[in-house]
Amino acid sequence: MHLDPRDRALLQQVQDAFPLDPRPYRVLGGMLGMPEREVMERLADLSRRGVIKHIAPILEPRSVGIRSSTLVAMRVPEERMHEVAAVINEYDSVSHNYRRDDDYNLWFTVAEASDEALFETLDEIRRRSMIPPGEILNLPVVQRFKLDVRFRFLPEEEDDGRDR
Amino acid sequence: MDAIDREILWLTQDGIGIEDRPFLHVARRLKISEEEVVGRLRRLERAGVVRRFGTRINPRKAGLAANAMVAWSVAPDRIADIGTAMAESPDVTHCYERRTIPGRWKYNLYTVLHCHDREDVLHKVGALSRATGAADYRILISTEEFKRRPSGRIEAAPGCRQ
Repeated sequence: MHLDPRDRALLQQVQDAFPLDPRPYRVLGGMLGMPEREVMERLADLSRRGVIKHIAPILEPRSVGIRSSTLVAMRVPEERMHEVAAVINEYDSVSHNYRRDDDYNLWFTVAEASDEALFETLDEIRRRSMIPPGEILNLPVVQRFKLDVRFRFLPEEEDDGRDR
Repeated sequence: MDAIDREILWLTQDGIGIEDRPFLHVARRLKISEEEVVGRLRRLERAGVVRRFGTRINPRKAGLAANAMVAWSVAPDRIADIGTAMAESPDVTHCYERRTIPGRWKYNLYTVLHCHDREDVLHKVGALSRATGAADYRILISTEEFKRRPSGRIEAAPGCRQ
């Protein structure tokens, strides 16, 4: 995936400090020395290429009522992997679900409004997936040190002074 | 957060348009001005309801093909220091303390790193280990993504839906 220097500068800006303005793409153009039209064309192109998923408010989970979350690992027989992953993906409260190269080969995160709701969802996933309890690790959060999904698009030497 | 704030978040959480005035349709629907829409979003950001307003990037499409979760086993009396230190690394996007399962699973600290490739993962994890003294860890590289989406969503807005 080729990103030219202007794409990189634009990605860094829209990721780190998107201007909340009625004409945000014009403001971005002003910040980056690009015409508004070019900002919009580049963003549309990055979006078509799948680099940008969307431009949106990223909500703090606690502020929308999420109080209880966990990470679950499972040992899933290879031939059942896609079937089990599909069952897990059905749940709206599952945000991430990955195959990982470990003995525990399926890892997913679940977040619910309460400990009770989380327990019920996990119990249902256990029953529906038919993975025995001894093949499952339930690893609830004790404390969060960081949640900040942002990336560096500019070489570090051009990126100094940025508050991150 | 009032009913209008919830409507604004509900209407924008799946993405605003790439058009001259991307907040215009939200403003019209809620019968408020575009300035009020962005003003409320700014306020929600300051209040911490919105962590940030910005772009959700697909790291795999942006050259960061290797997503590694690292499970660390660290002494309980050092976890706060080590967790704080790891959280400061720009390569670390997530850092959590989690419960262990005595006798089955000893790892109590988890970090996620987005890297270019496996070699980059090993290099960055090695650097974190040296910087913090955390030497007992397990690297879990993702080899297939089944689902990835934000964990906080407004599921339904009162008022103008339905």
